[in-house]
Amino acid sequence: MNKIKLILIILYLLGLSSCSVNPGKTEDISIADVGEFSASIESLLSDPVFLRNEVRKINASKPSIQRIINGADAFWKNGNLEESSKELERALRISRNESAVFLRLAQIRSEQGLRLESGGFAARGLMINGISSWERLLLRVYALDK
Amino acid sequence: MASKKFKLNFTFKTFIGLVLLFTFLFGAAVLSVIDSKVTSKLDGVLWTIPAKIYSRSLEIAEGGLVNKKNLLRELEMLSYQKVRKATDLGEYYYNGKNLNIFLRGHLKQSSGLYRITFEEERVKSIENQGGSVVNSIILEPMAIGGMYPSHMEDRVLLDWPQIPDKLVKILLSVEDQGFFNHYGISLKSISRAFFRNIQAANIEQGGSTITQQLAKNLFFSSEQTLKRKVSEAIAALLIEFHYTKKEILLAYINDVYLAQSGTRSIHGFGLGSKHFFGASLRNLEDHQLALLVGMLKGPSVYNPRRNPNNALKRRNVVLRVMERDGIISTQILENQVKEEIKIVKPNYSSETKYPAFHDLVRIELRNNFNENELRTEGLSVSTNIDPVLQESLEKNIVLTKKQLIKKYGSKLNKLEGAAIVIDIQSGEVRALVGSTSPRQFGFNRSLNAVRSIGSLVKPFVYLTALNKYQDYNLVTILDDSKLSVPLSKNSSWEPNNFDKKFHGNVPLHKALWQSYNIASARLGLEVGFENVKETFKLLGIDKNVPHYPSLFIGSFEMSPYEVAQAYQSIASDGFYTPLRSIREISDAKGNVNLRYPYKIEQRFRPEPVSLLKFAMRQTFLEGTARGYSLNKIDKWMVGGKTGTSDDQRDSWFAGYAGDYLVLVWLGFDDNRSTPLTGRSGALQVWKNFIDDINPSRVNKAILPRIHYVWTDINDGTLSGPKCKGSILTPFIKGTEPKPVPSRKNCGPAFEETSNTVLNRLKSVLLKD
Repeated sequence: MNKIKLILIILYLLGLSSCSVNPGKTEDISIADVGEFSASIESLLSDPVFLRNEVRKINASKPSIQRIINGADAFWKNGNLEESSKELERALRISRNESAVFLRLAQIRSEQGLRLESGGFAARGLMINGISSWERLLLRVYALDK
Repeated sequence: MASKKFKLNFTFKTFIGLVLLFTFLFGAAVLSVIDSKVTSKLDGVLWTIPAKIYSRSLEIAEGGLVNKKNLLRELEMLSYQKVRKATDLGEYYYNGKNLNIFLRGHLKQSSGLYRITFEEERVKSIENQGGSVVNSIILEPMAIGGMYPSHMEDRVLLDWPQIPDKLVKILLSVEDQGFFNHYGISLKSISRAFFRNIQAANIEQGGSTITQQLAKNLFFSSEQTLKRKVSEAIAALLIEFHYTKKEILLAYINDVYLAQSGTRSIHGFGLGSKHFFGASLRNLEDHQLALLVGMLKGPSVYNPRRNPNNALKRRNVVLRVMERDGIISTQILENQVKEEIKIVKPNYSSETKYPAFHDLVRIELRNNFNENELRTEGLSVSTNIDPVLQESLEKNIVLTKKQLIKKYGSKLNKLEGAAIVIDIQSGEVRALVGSTSPRQFGFNRSLNAVRSIGSLVKPFVYLTALNKYQDYNLVTILDDSKLSVPLSKNSSWEPNNFDKKFHGNVPLHKALWQSYNIASARLGLEVGFENVKETFKLLGIDKNVPHYPSLFIGSFEMSPYEVAQAYQSIASDGFYTPLRSIREISDAKGNVNLRYPYKIEQRFRPEPVSLLKFAMRQTFLEGTARGYSLNKIDKWMVGGKTGTSDDQRDSWFAGYAGDYLVLVWLGFDDNRSTPLTGRSGALQVWKNFIDDINPSRVNKAILPRIHYVWTDINDGTLSGPKCKGSILTPFIKGTEPKPVPSRKNCGPAFEETSNTVLNRLKSVLLKD
């Protein structure tokens, strides 16, 4: 699994760099995110089980938030999306910049059929400074889902 | 003769028979009436519990940010007492670095002593009494109001698991020792009371059982007449006939009258415990239980607030009865009688403590519940109000009005106002006032005053332009010379600037932070009505937008609450979240039956919004809100917009600082002119409030597609760091001005970009 992750990140970064070295082109910011994905990455990330498992592996930076996330994940695994969301919203009140929380909310809203909200949480997560390339890549899957 | 005798006999027998029949029927009817009263009241009315409204519960978690000053304010509001060593429920010790707090407990949060260690504004660790690390603690919420029926009876319904065994033992010991052995009335108690009263030639003692007391509380007045006593005894027998002893006891515990708090009457031990001790019944100590039970003899005479000495004496009598009956040991008695009576401040005495916020909650509740459900089903409403922010907002709108009266004179005596505090990210309403007399019930201006918003409309117009980022950037030149828009053959519209001057060509950002009307009107006309209308819609403004050019400079009416909603998406970098005052609603058994989840939609890309926010930051640095400390502007990432309507009828300010968006309106209800502008009026409330609550520091989101270029503040041309009037201006990548040679001696215009600044920082850090 780690190998797949590494390949995805490399492909992703290659995509980004090819975009940024395109001289003389006025970037259309409304579609820039979409264009940064290659078809191969998109197809790899379209497996919902793979995605959900990867989202659950993302940990919070603060131990107290991670403990809340663990509780939220337990509800989620039992199919209780509402209670899981409630716990994640609780985590956001304590710490506003945990991409692990935004990722989960994006995935859960997606499972609830709330695509606009899923995209909203993902796009909000993308504004957090200093998140890893892998988290960024996962968030973009949902941000694209609009 | 025999026939006559028979006739007489028959008549007499018939008469007796009829009398007996009538008596029987009458008795049966009376019994039936009382019986129906008993069952309907006990089955129904007793369980009509008003919905209760609570503030948000503050959760303090390891690694989380905490404003210590505001935390201490909240502890005071929750009647926690500062002591040298916290040993009892509701006590805390604070030394600047550590907070030892004896929590009262609430729902899943157990009571007990916790030690919080701070590292500046952050929580470093939390430990419980045993020294184990705890993830977080939750302070109990503050009860802020309810939805009461007209009689204003209030109670918290308890079930057996929430009732301590000890309370039952004390009640039976003190009030009715033979409770489990009688059928509603106790002849032994009645005769004892009878002889005692004969001796005293007065009614000094009642012989009422718990069942009789329940009957009296439910159906009868407190007058001491024979008729009432008989009816009460019949009702008691009927209660015993219909219900088990356990049900009767539970009803009694939930129904007893304990106190009056303004217009609200406090019933039951559940609410009594909260009202006097701020804690759940199961967390009370022996002396506190004794105090509550002692009050039953005379809720007014033994009220610990009004008559603390009487209450203390009575409590100690009950404690001695407890020792006599083996409920507590002699040693515990000796310790407990030494305990001081410590009671909390009452939260509110009428329907609510915060009338304007209550209005908002009621509106949201009515979308899902009818009036009867709200007044009878014991719902528990957890709101998003932060009581510390609410009190500060109330205090500062009153304070600012006083300052303005001092400055402008008594003509501002009737000045009114409204203000709203929003958590930017979640859209949760943290505080709301609808008047400059915030505790008075009446017209709620935050929700219902629809006023001309003046220049507060301009950011909506500028956002429309900046969203067309290939056509507009922050240095796009706008024309602020005379404008005449023909409206019909004979009339035209000619807007003026506030200073009655024309300013020629100005960069777009300056036109906004200087709030130039003519340049803004031209911009609106350029981008077009339809595009501006679309922006309104995306910002959540759900009303008809007029199709006339003065719209672009604010001849558009909105309520403060609607304006706050529109500015939320701007403050939140383009993410729209519906404002909400309620977090969740639980039923009387504590099960959550409705949640108001966090909803979010990205309505605008963050880059155009960040350009707009740059101009709104400039409002504080050089524009209509100038004069604020640079340190605060940077720490809280401050930005905002002033608004003044025609003839200065309305003074507005919408601004964000830290995690909060604060919207303020000032004006007169009769719409006459004020001497105030947005800057001299509403902004002052905003500043006083923000300085008081001192929000936590926030970090700016770094957007990779935003590049910074030095430009001249006045004409928008490329400049450099060494030239006067140069500012680092953000541009969306690919839209920055062409790299032409910069002005002499100004230095390179493109030298400092966000990335190069970061790279420099990184290299410095790495070297160290």
